[in-house]
Amino acid sequence: MNEETLKEVKIEEPDFEFEEVKQPEGSEAIVEGLLYVVGEDGAKIEQIAMAIDKSEEDVKVILQNIQHKYASELYGIELVNYGKMYKFVTKKDIYPYAQELFGSSKPNTLSQSALETLAIIAYKQPVTRVEIEELRGVGAEMMLRKLQARNLIKEAGRSDAPGKPILYEVTEEFMDSFKLYTLNELPDLPEYNREEGDENLFE
Amino acid sequence: MWVSFTVETLKFEGPLDLMLHLIHEQKLDIFDLDMMVLTEQYIKYLHEMEDLHLEVESEYLVELATLIEYKSKKLLPKKADEVEDDYEDPKDKLVRRLLEYQKYKEVSSALYDSYMDRQNQLSKPVSYDEIIRNQNDDEIKYEGDPYDLLKAMNKVLRRVQLSRPLDIKYTQKELSPEDRVLQIKARLKDLPDTFSFDTLIEDCDSIREYVVTFIAILDMAKNHYLAFTVDDNENIWFTRGSNNE
Repeated sequence: MNEETLKEVKIEEPDFEFEEVKQPEGSEAIVEGLLYVVGEDGAKIEQIAMAIDKSEEDVKVILQNIQHKYASELYGIELVNYGKMYKFVTKKDIYPYAQELFGSSKPNTLSQSALETLAIIAYKQPVTRVEIEELRGVGAEMMLRKLQARNLIKEAGRSDAPGKPILYEVTEEFMDSFKLYTLNELPDLPEYNREEGDENLFE
Repeated sequence: MWVSFTVETLKFEGPLDLMLHLIHEQKLDIFDLDMMVLTEQYIKYLHEMEDLHLEVESEYLVELATLIEYKSKKLLPKKADEVEDDYEDPKDKLVRRLLEYQKYKEVSSALYDSYMDRQNQLSKPVSYDEIIRNQNDDEIKYEGDPYDLLKAMNKVLRRVQLSRPLDIKYTQKELSPEDRVLQIKARLKDLPDTFSFDTLIEDCDSIREYVVTFIAILDMAKNHYLAFTVDDNENIWFTRGSNNE
């Protein structure tokens, strides 16, 4: 900003009085403050426990209380736990307003082939490229590279199979992107049996 | 008034996806698969793809070979001793693969929903600088895999993006290929006898400018201002052309 425009800037007084701010007393308020600071990176229970010098059990209770508090419709943000990381995020109904505020922005999206590849890795990990290709019936090399570049999967050593192929597994970023605490939270894979109602298999 | 209509463009994720579609369309029983109908429909579909001048990817042909192999084996008389104990009928194998693929295809739509939900939850970047600034950074050691680094870099980029003003008017620095030709001609005086494409694009800072430069040199080659060769490492080298003496 140059000097000329600086002069034009008028500092407006807010037309309401701010209340006097009181400092937090309880651990809950402190943890809430910490969670605000870590933002999208989030914090693990152990990290918070160390910072405020409390047991992990205590921190777990505190986090539960905060989570409960923000679940109320009075708040626009919520406390989530993806891949063992606690973080504040806006509730999803805020999104259209944020779009309005920032001008339209398009969310990221994933193609069907990316989703299928990720699903195979998440359910069967660690898994080799050949196993993925056998299952989908198409080449997977490019897709694996793309998913690695997006930090959704990573290499996890090599298999003992001939040629020592690279094994792949999903990352913490994957857990975050799919709102998962552990992989056990993934929906069950459907089972198809010819005995029970196989007509509606594709419905 | 809007008239809405849909053009059905079927896009398949691969041969197995196509087969599942055909099985559904033909109302075949996947557990008692009619291989003849499936093969026939599969071939018909590949022909249609060709008629539309769509490239039939090799993966589709691989599975076609499997289908045809099955068909041809059925036609040949079988000797009893040829059937081994651990022999899996190709049809059973195909059905098993189709069912397995169907599972992941189905579950991927649930994954899509949670992914999109997550996209609607926004968070702010870590309040980093204020805390980190006071820390001792004499020793910087980096241990970790390159994807952590990539993630970190992405975050930097995101932060740069966030620190931009809310409202921006973009005006593109318009550089026409014709202007670029003039620029390059002016630079030719100072360039060595042989120079590479990389030298020419040193002053470019956007993909658009690379492209404009490329068009410019094509034009200059056409008019014999420049001659070019491409070496084994795919570098483009230029010398002055006959029109330049």
